[in-house]
Amino acid sequence: MASAWCWSCLSRLRPTPQAVLPPSSAIPRGTSAFHSSAIQYAPPLKKKSNSMTQLKYRQGQTLRRKKKKTVEKARPPAPGERKAMRKRIVLSNPNALEVEGMQEISAENIVDARLRGSVLGLPVPMLDQLRAVQAFKPKQGWSIFRRPGAVVRRDTVEMGRLFEKISGEGDAPEKGKVVKKVVTGMKGSGKTVHLLQAMSMAFLKKWVVVTVPEARELVSGDTAYVPVEGSKPTQYIQPGATSALLMRTVEANREVLSSLKVSQKHEIAGLKPASSLEDLAKLGFQDPAVAWPVFKALWTELTATAAAPGMEKDFQPRPPMLVAVDGLAHWMQNSAYRDLDFNLIHAHDLIFVKHFLSLLRNGQAELKNGGMLLYATSTSNSPGVYALEVGLDQMAARQAGTSPTSPEYPSAEAYSNADPRVLDLFKPIEGKEPQMELQNLGGLTRDETRGYLEYFARSGLLREPINEQWVGEKWSMSGGGIIGELEKLGRHVRSAAIPTPTA
Amino acid sequence: MPLRVNLFTAHKAATALRQPVGSFAPRNIASPLRFRAEQSAPIQKRWNSSKDDKKVIPPDEQKFPTQDPLPHVSEEAAEVDRIMSKEKSCDGQPTAPELEQGSPVEEILSRDKEAMKHMPKVMQDQMKKGTRSFSTSARSRLPDIQNSQPEADASAAILASMIQGVEEQTTERLPGLKFAEPEAPQGTLNFRKRYDTMQDQFTKMLMQDGKLARAQKNMSTILDTLRTSSPPNIQSRRPLIGAPPAPQLPLDPVLYLTLIVDSVAPLFRIRQQKGIAGGGTAVQVPHPLTLRQRRRTAIKWIIDGSEKRRDAQLAHRVANELIAIAEGRSGVWDRRDQQHKIGISGRANLGLAPRRR
Repeated sequence: MASAWCWSCLSRLRPTPQAVLPPSSAIPRGTSAFHSSAIQYAPPLKKKSNSMTQLKYRQGQTLRRKKKKTVEKARPPAPGERKAMRKRIVLSNPNALEVEGMQEISAENIVDARLRGSVLGLPVPMLDQLRAVQAFKPKQGWSIFRRPGAVVRRDTVEMGRLFEKISGEGDAPEKGKVVKKVVTGMKGSGKTVHLLQAMSMAFLKKWVVVTVPEARELVSGDTAYVPVEGSKPTQYIQPGATSALLMRTVEANREVLSSLKVSQKHEIAGLKPASSLEDLAKLGFQDPAVAWPVFKALWTELTATAAAPGMEKDFQPRPPMLVAVDGLAHWMQNSAYRDLDFNLIHAHDLIFVKHFLSLLRNGQAELKNGGMLLYATSTSNSPGVYALEVGLDQMAARQAGTSPTSPEYPSAEAYSNADPRVLDLFKPIEGKEPQMELQNLGGLTRDETRGYLEYFARSGLLREPINEQWVGEKWSMSGGGIIGELEKLGRHVRSAAIPTPTA
Repeated sequence: MPLRVNLFTAHKAATALRQPVGSFAPRNIASPLRFRAEQSAPIQKRWNSSKDDKKVIPPDEQKFPTQDPLPHVSEEAAEVDRIMSKEKSCDGQPTAPELEQGSPVEEILSRDKEAMKHMPKVMQDQMKKGTRSFSTSARSRLPDIQNSQPEADASAAILASMIQGVEEQTTERLPGLKFAEPEAPQGTLNFRKRYDTMQDQFTKMLMQDGKLARAQKNMSTILDTLRTSSPPNIQSRRPLIGAPPAPQLPLDPVLYLTLIVDSVAPLFRIRQQKGIAGGGTAVQVPHPLTLRQRRRTAIKWIIDGSEKRRDAQLAHRVANELIAIAEGRSGVWDRRDQQHKIGISGRANLGLAPRRR
């Protein structure tokens, strides 16, 4: 047998038999000498799985907090509840004191200049009519007084005189006269309430009241629109909006319309010969598709001066009309509607809008029986339309006596891209009546302010001594009697004496 | 040696021209006098940079601070005694050496005619005897006035009686006031104090995300809701403190709001105080709150309570919670009662709390 040693290096050639060596698995290397249990039997150490402390590769080291879990709250309000709350109009506060000796507006006292500065209440039966034509707006603060009322100011008395004149009463009757006014003024100067006062006067004088309470709704793209076949440029009917207009007109003027009979020939299915104007308008309620022809028919009836041949029976002279539009600037630009080529449709191409704007045009006298057009601008929700500003400036210049040919006469600046259709609307037409007028509502006078604030005090809402100095201060603070600011000051409560708590 | 200083004029301005004692280097009375005397010379001497002026002292004459020891205690006491008692002027105050040894300004001036011309005006006035720029003889004219009085006696008596009558009337009308009460300036609407304190605090607690204007709008909605809702049906168990009759409340919504908040405001908060009972147990100690703190707590509870309501708007939720409190239906009352209960039981722990300094 050969030696187990290598002769050249003196190392063993063969490994030692396995049995001679101690078993390597039995005593692991990491075991302490004094522990009898092997380390493998212990559960392996887990890494901490806390994501707050454990940083991943390339992770930011800033403090990370766990987001709070959103706690399940009470169910959200039912659909439509929020909007109903927003649009709710409350006209009475039973907690407010009844103002003693408060007069109501009546057909007689609308021209009484002695009532300037006093607040006239609106008669209760008229409230439904005014609600129907949406004369009240949600944020006007009717809800803090016992009953709705409006202060009589200089413009109100002047308007009352106009109403009397057009109705053919008073000292200088001008029956059949048409007055066209664009009502402007600062924010809170009472433009919308001025329209409301006009409507209340119209109801008192038994006029027909047609209103567009929110001009924006017609151009905001919320109602349906249909192109008119064969019109060029293409024009559009808004059946839903027309139907709504018919509804509020009938609701507000039911008494007048039911007393008037159809006197012209109309091509409307379902119309009986001896039906009243109320029945005529009601045809448009059911079927919005015929709403626009029905409105045209109603308009023809209301502006008729005589009956068609063969229908003279039961013809009664038509009353004057009041047309009130609020938020005129929305009608002076492109609407949100699109045509077939996806171009924006100009507001003047909507037939509804065009109809009401054509009434305003200088020299246009479609209201044959007389009446008043009041188109108010808005300052709280109004797009800036440069052409409208220029048009109103031109109107103001004409009223101040500036000739349209003189160099001082305002005109659109070059390259300003002013809308020619709007400028055309306000274009002066010499020699033809009636002309458009501009009525700028300013602040109340000090006396009117005092009367207005006394109304707050007498309603129990204001607890301060109302004297000349205090009124003067409030008048100045409201920007010279801007009535919306005065209202804020009037309802602003400052507790004079807060009792010290005892327990 | 006669005293050369006129002590009767010592308080006058002329002699006050002397240099104040305090402008010398402060001398420590405890330090030995001899050492002080030696030290005073180098202080007055300027420490120049040139070495030429320096007197070279031979090494055997050099003195070091440690060389001569402190004098004996009795020596020092004698020295102090000499200053304090012997060198006294006649008014008993210790004198200063310049009073004792210096020559007064007057003396110099009396010798120098030229300087007298330029001496201060105060001294010049003093030199001039007799007339003064002002008169102090007020009494000499009194007899004249007394003599002239009897002539205008009749009219003056009437006038005096009139004045007295008016004064009596005024006293009757305005007790405690001689003249009519001046009118306080009328408060104007200052934009910084536009709102009531309580309303302001509530508004700011309603504020979310720093949107104050929105909070103010919400507050005005709350006040309008309080103003328009029907008068509260107040329970006798839980009345609003110091409130007018319920039907009057909606007409003054700020007062209404204030009464509600003040009525549910707790008087104290409960502090969990550790380490007074021992064993690491926290002890509940009531701790009083200020008015503003009390209101803050109440407003917090009210807003918490309103979160469970189902109204769509925040303002309506809060307003309805406020009305519920006024009618005694709200859980905020229970919260306040609970707080007070704990506070009453924790009163015993008040003495245990360590006093704060």
